[in-house]
Amino acid sequence: MSKAEVPSGVSVRFADDVERSLYAKREKVYPREVHGVFAALRVTAVAVLLGLFYGLCWLRWDGEQVLLFDLPQRKFHVFGWTLFPQDFPYLTFMLIIAALSLFLFTALAGRLFCGYACPQTVWTEVFLWIERKLEGDRQKQIKLDKSSWSRRKVFVKGAKHATWIVFSLWTGFTFVGYFTPITELGARLVVFDLGPWETFWGFFYGFATYGNAGWMREQVCIYMCPYARFQSAMFDQDTLVISYDKARGEPRGSRKKTLDHRTAGLGDCIDCTICVQVCPTGIDIREGLQYQCIACAACVDACDQVMERMNYPKGLIRYTTENAVAGAPIRVFRLRVIFYGLILFGLAVALGVSVGLRTPLALDVIRDRNALYRETSQGLVENVYTLKIINMDDASHRFRLSARGIDGVELLMEDATIEVGAGDVRSFPARLRADPHKLQKPSNQVVFALMTTDNPSLKIETEGRFLGPVPAR
Amino acid sequence: MIVYRSIPRVQLISAVLWPSFLLAGIATSVFFVFLDPVRLFDYEGEAPLSRMAAYSLGFFLFWLLCVASSAATAYFMRPTGSAVSSDDGSA
Ligand code: SF4
Ligand code: SF4
Repeated sequence: MSKAEVPSGVSVRFADDVERSLYAKREKVYPREVHGVFAALRVTAVAVLLGLFYGLCWLRWDGEQVLLFDLPQRKFHVFGWTLFPQDFPYLTFMLIIAALSLFLFTALAGRLFCGYACPQTVWTEVFLWIERKLEGDRQKQIKLDKSSWSRRKVFVKGAKHATWIVFSLWTGFTFVGYFTPITELGARLVVFDLGPWETFWGFFYGFATYGNAGWMREQVCIYMCPYARFQSAMFDQDTLVISYDKARGEPRGSRKKTLDHRTAGLGDCIDCTICVQVCPTGIDIREGLQYQCIACAACVDACDQVMERMNYPKGLIRYTTENAVAGAPIRVFRLRVIFYGLILFGLAVALGVSVGLRTPLALDVIRDRNALYRETSQGLVENVYTLKIINMDDASHRFRLSARGIDGVELLMEDATIEVGAGDVRSFPARLRADPHKLQKPSNQVVFALMTTDNPSLKIETEGRFLGPVPAR
Repeated sequence: MIVYRSIPRVQLISAVLWPSFLLAGIATSVFFVFLDPVRLFDYEGEAPLSRMAAYSLGFFLFWLLCVASSAATAYFMRPTGSAVSSDDGSA
């Protein structure tokens, strides 16, 4: 159908235009290299965080990897602590506390996390560094991309991607090393004996790193990051943001350094667009705060250098708050901050108390699924169980088990006391024997009690079912 | 063909794949906290799947379900009776 035949032509054309602009191919952002206080801070943060990520998995503590989410063994080792699936609530708790801390932090300091600590930023920084080393600075990169394919271009691009890929694969390997012991993983890697899933997840994470830090970059922040979308809900007029001082900068315009721009009616912005060139998300901060801004302060560093060269005071773009820009007093403790702080404090106390009260012991009772019950030659009824004892304590213990709930019920195990090592899980077969005349119902509740012989306060009870014949009336 | 013209394609693809990925991660964790895959099979002797394999397959199953749901949502989010015709040549 041609345009002329569309009845409401105007609106159609309008929709078309909007679509075309929204569908415009993403313009590749070539962030220019920055130097300055905040760039140095970010490099430090990147070094520390990546150092932790690539290094921590190799450290050991009491013979255990310091941080290991041992999925195959269903045990988490966290700095000398061993956590079991039973401890899942604590983990959830900790995640909630982490999320709330982020809220509090965001209310106070804005998107500091994005600019310095977010994995996306951190890895992108490394990828940008590799790119710069191999392709040269921003101008050279743009030129290279525009040029037609030559032997040199293939070589440079190939080298860049190869480096990225090697780095990504190492990242993927490290990632898997947090879920299966890394020394063992490394030993198996060199003889090409990785399990299919370890290999898969290594490649998966490596590919995600390569894709996100090499190709997607700012699009991850803009389209994928939930935090970027809802952080504005934590913002108020007193939140630290990166802001361009419009009153001081406008009207912008280029000028000679010697010109007294005030008398010439110009503001401090010389319209050099360096702030736009350094921006990793490709926005112009002079248009006001935008949700694409990850508060990386690259534009602050860049503009400060320009101001220095012009002999103008620094801080045309700076960390500030909406209120401060408007000349209102700075308030740190607002209702919002106090509110987040109180909840956080309450949760931290609750977590501390519950961890303090945690019984480092669990007993699982699994009834044998193959038989309902069995009658012994003495006319007694017998049920078979597997008892799983999980000793979450950091010391080995000896345990004694008993059962109650049915008159005269008897627990039969191979050994009277059993030993389970620190952080160990052991299963034991056990039988319960009861007189059928004492059973009220075909299915009866029994209680298994686990006691520690060397520490009477360490005990736990678990309920189970005991099945028998329908009682004769 | 009708395409989602209101948002960029990367955004649409991310909006379907990414939240489902996160949710599948949460669902997998919760599911396997309460259920040890090895115990699911233990009465048949040797487990046919290792824990890693069970977790991974479980994750992909959850992801698939979530992707299906997200994709259905995205599909139904298309404006109905919009003035944008599907064949005006601009797609
Ligand atoms: S870097 Fe500073 S002076 Fe240059 S355009 Fe940006 S705001 Fe203006
Ligand atoms: S506007 Fe400035 S602070 Fe925001 S992302 Fe761009 S360079 Fe970073």
